[in-house]
Amino acid sequence: MQNNPFIMKYRTCCPAHCGIDACGILAHIKEDKIIKLEPAEFPDPIDRRICLRGLSSLDITYHPDRIKYPLKRVGERGEGKFIRISWDEAYNLIIENFKKISEKYGWRAIGWVLGGPGAGTTKFGAYLRLASLTQSTRVSAWGYGDAGLPCGSRIILGHQFPYIHLQGKFWQREWPELLIVWGTNPGESMPLQNMRKIMDAKEQGTQVIVIDPRFTITASKADQYIGLRPATDSALALGIMNIIFKNNLHNKNYILEHTNGPYLVRTDDGKLLRGKDIGEKKVEAYILWDGASNSHKVVRRKNSGDICLTGTYKINGIEVKPVLQLLMDLASEYTPEKTAEITGVSPDLIIKLAKRIATAKDVTFLTHMGFTRTYHGDISLRGLISVAVITGNVTTSFSSGYLPATLNWEPFLNARPGEPSYHRLGILKLYDAVIKGDPFPIKAIWFAFINFLNQCVNTNKIIDEFFPNLEFIVQTELFLTPSAKYADLILPVCSFLEFSDFLSFPYPYLQLQRKVIEPLYESKSDVTIVSELADRLGYGEYFKGGEESMIDMIMDNPTLEGVNRKVLEQGAVKLKPLPEGGSFPLGFNTPSGKIELYAEQLIEDGQALPVYLPPLEAPITPEKRKYPLSFIQGHSRFRTHSSFANVQSLLDLNPEPLVEINPKDAKSRSILNNDYVTVYNDRAKTTLKARLTESVPSGVINITEGWWIDQFKEGSVNHLTHDIVNPVQEKVYEPNMHMNDVAVELKKAEAK
Amino acid sequence: MNIQLGLVIDQERCIGCEACTVACRIENNTSLLWIKVETLGGEEKDTPNGKHPNLSLNFLPHLCNHCERPPCIDSCSIDALVKLENGIVMLNQEECTGCKACLSSCPYGVIEFNEETNIAEKCNFCSHRINENLEPFCVICCEGQAMVFGDLNNPNSKISQMIAEREVFQLKLEEKTKPSVYYCPPKPKYNL
Repeated sequence: MQNNPFIMKYRTCCPAHCGIDACGILAHIKEDKIIKLEPAEFPDPIDRRICLRGLSSLDITYHPDRIKYPLKRVGERGEGKFIRISWDEAYNLIIENFKKISEKYGWRAIGWVLGGPGAGTTKFGAYLRLASLTQSTRVSAWGYGDAGLPCGSRIILGHQFPYIHLQGKFWQREWPELLIVWGTNPGESMPLQNMRKIMDAKEQGTQVIVIDPRFTITASKADQYIGLRPATDSALALGIMNIIFKNNLHNKNYILEHTNGPYLVRTDDGKLLRGKDIGEKKVEAYILWDGASNSHKVVRRKNSGDICLTGTYKINGIEVKPVLQLLMDLASEYTPEKTAEITGVSPDLIIKLAKRIATAKDVTFLTHMGFTRTYHGDISLRGLISVAVITGNVTTSFSSGYLPATLNWEPFLNARPGEPSYHRLGILKLYDAVIKGDPFPIKAIWFAFINFLNQCVNTNKIIDEFFPNLEFIVQTELFLTPSAKYADLILPVCSFLEFSDFLSFPYPYLQLQRKVIEPLYESKSDVTIVSELADRLGYGEYFKGGEESMIDMIMDNPTLEGVNRKVLEQGAVKLKPLPEGGSFPLGFNTPSGKIELYAEQLIEDGQALPVYLPPLEAPITPEKRKYPLSFIQGHSRFRTHSSFANVQSLLDLNPEPLVEINPKDAKSRSILNNDYVTVYNDRAKTTLKARLTESVPSGVINITEGWWIDQFKEGSVNHLTHDIVNPVQEKVYEPNMHMNDVAVELKKAEAK
Repeated sequence: MNIQLGLVIDQERCIGCEACTVACRIENNTSLLWIKVETLGGEEKDTPNGKHPNLSLNFLPHLCNHCERPPCIDSCSIDALVKLENGIVMLNQEECTGCKACLSSCPYGVIEFNEETNIAEKCNFCSHRINENLEPFCVICCEGQAMVFGDLNNPNSKISQMIAEREVFQLKLEEKTKPSVYYCPPKPKYNL
């Protein structure tokens, strides 16, 4: 390409929901058309990046199948028959239906189902603001795969995410001696922000271990790969802890200072002993045992003496043990042999792994959502964090690097201060709300940036029971996705190059996702659609100024002082560094203010400790099971969830869904490579091509998620998944979908 | 000394993502694959070698080697293939007649034939970008930062230093073509 004076270059960034990569993009524009995208510069040149999906973004923006006008359904739901209507007609249809439904059931019967907003902020915020004003229902999408990790993190650390505690230093490029990548495959799902750093660390001498049921791209880069059965992570964690305790390698000072490990637990009811139980003045205080005076002590900010982590004691006739003793007792059941039986990892490897973790100078645990998409995924995370805690590898203070930004979410969460805001419903609870009216009926749904039918669990239930109970379905979309086919009204939205938003990613940067061309066809941004609808509902004043005013609003926080749209148009801005020598505690928002190795609120559930509980479906003893195969869904580098599944240039390299199966399991079922096979369970079946590979162990099959339903011969991945709610997760936060805790059988497809 | 532009691909950092392939197709406006990522493992793409869990998987991107002694140039009867002063082996599509002689002359099999236009195509190291002092597009789009581009004849260049310091190999040295694409093999693994 020549240096053409008629080509304009604008910097924007990709919000494709890889989570945190948010690649800066330089768009080349000639006569209102984007002719090229390239990776944009970052203040630190090493951070310049793009991935194969981001590179292919123009194939979405200029895709021939884009929805160009508002479409009103004329055929049956799912049939895909629509007619073009005007935006005025579309808004009138929405108002008419919202009015009818809100008069009959109240505004809370109208739900906003907002999917992964990616790294976007205001496109998500605008919907929240309207939901807040109308007191309708925000359906939280954490539960479609991303609620298990927050559940576990909330219990043990008191924070939504564990990342700053586990890998904060790693993100500051402080390389550890040992890096454990557990239950995540950044090589495909977060190649830039995480995978590059893994390789940078390895170059500097970090030993890398990957724990995953599949031998992933990330595993291929590891010094040591540890393959375990799906949904057995907490057993492995207990097996590791057992070796560490047995060898007296746990970090006692750390446990004493930062955890509730020394707090005494009553052996009669499992509750933490309190001052009131033994006649102390400080009635709610936790109690310790001091070995020096051989008596109890009330917990204070600083606890001197010889505080015991082990033993059994009697105070006023009440038998008590320190939390750590209970954890040790539990872990002692997980001998290398028993742990091996459950996890499939050899006893020898478990011992070596445990000793390495305990003796390394420092260990980073890099993790994400994948392994928590199991019925007890929240406990899996607690197990992992417990291993990190007892070896002193959970960071407790922020002492170097760039201070994370705080965004001004308040006007979006509570549009009118002091007045009630929206109702909130987890997405897995939405099924019962729609189908049974429990806890309250939802009668209309607005889907935005979500391919609900494709990506959420139990497809047939959605088609047969969920959609028929809805009186009105709106979907904002770029394409006629499997889910959009069921909408009554489809509103065409812009691709990310056609509207503006603010991103606080990738760490340590702030970026503007800048509109580089005008919206194509009759498409509008989500923010514009919300603003225009709000105007018609009488809330126009709250959205004056559209996208730009929303961006200014969300950036209105002291941590973003001096940063504004004008500055960000020039490029990414680095966050403010922590002043030299500065340091502040990260804190733990748990009931005790400590890391909680023992969670008192889960005593009745039998989950106060990070116990191993067998998976809901994933078979541990396959020979006894009707459905002997464990079915998991890895992520593909060719898609971000279901985005990019319809991009031909990427389909050229990865043309169709494949089920990965171990050659041994294929042989026993007389299946050859490239045979069409049917994967099934009691819920449904799906038919696709078999790929024989050792990347999955015997007993496990993998189909990457995100393929559209119509790309399978029949069925799809989520036809096989279940919508069972874990009540503990519901109690703690919100229940997660468990896409990686599913049992199936597989057979050669019948010839058609 | 003359310039010889070359490339080092570090297998230790290549994650087989094929961003290079995608980048190349966009930059050069072609439907063909001028750079192709080979799986070194099982027989199928992205599959490992060995038995679970003792497995290995690596990647080897193939592209024009911009040989110092390029046999394709000798095979071309009309000078559509030329060696530029910076060492790039350039295929001028405007002059190519589609005789396919170069395809069989290349020991690396990296010259592609476009059945629609009846013309041979291959990697030109993004010669149009080199003229603007830019690196090849695949290099700046490499997810793993596994590619280093530069002048092999300049001992101070990053690429020359990398070749001097790291273990490297070239493909099919027995063909005596003196390829300008080098590879760093994966490093040994430190098992538990």
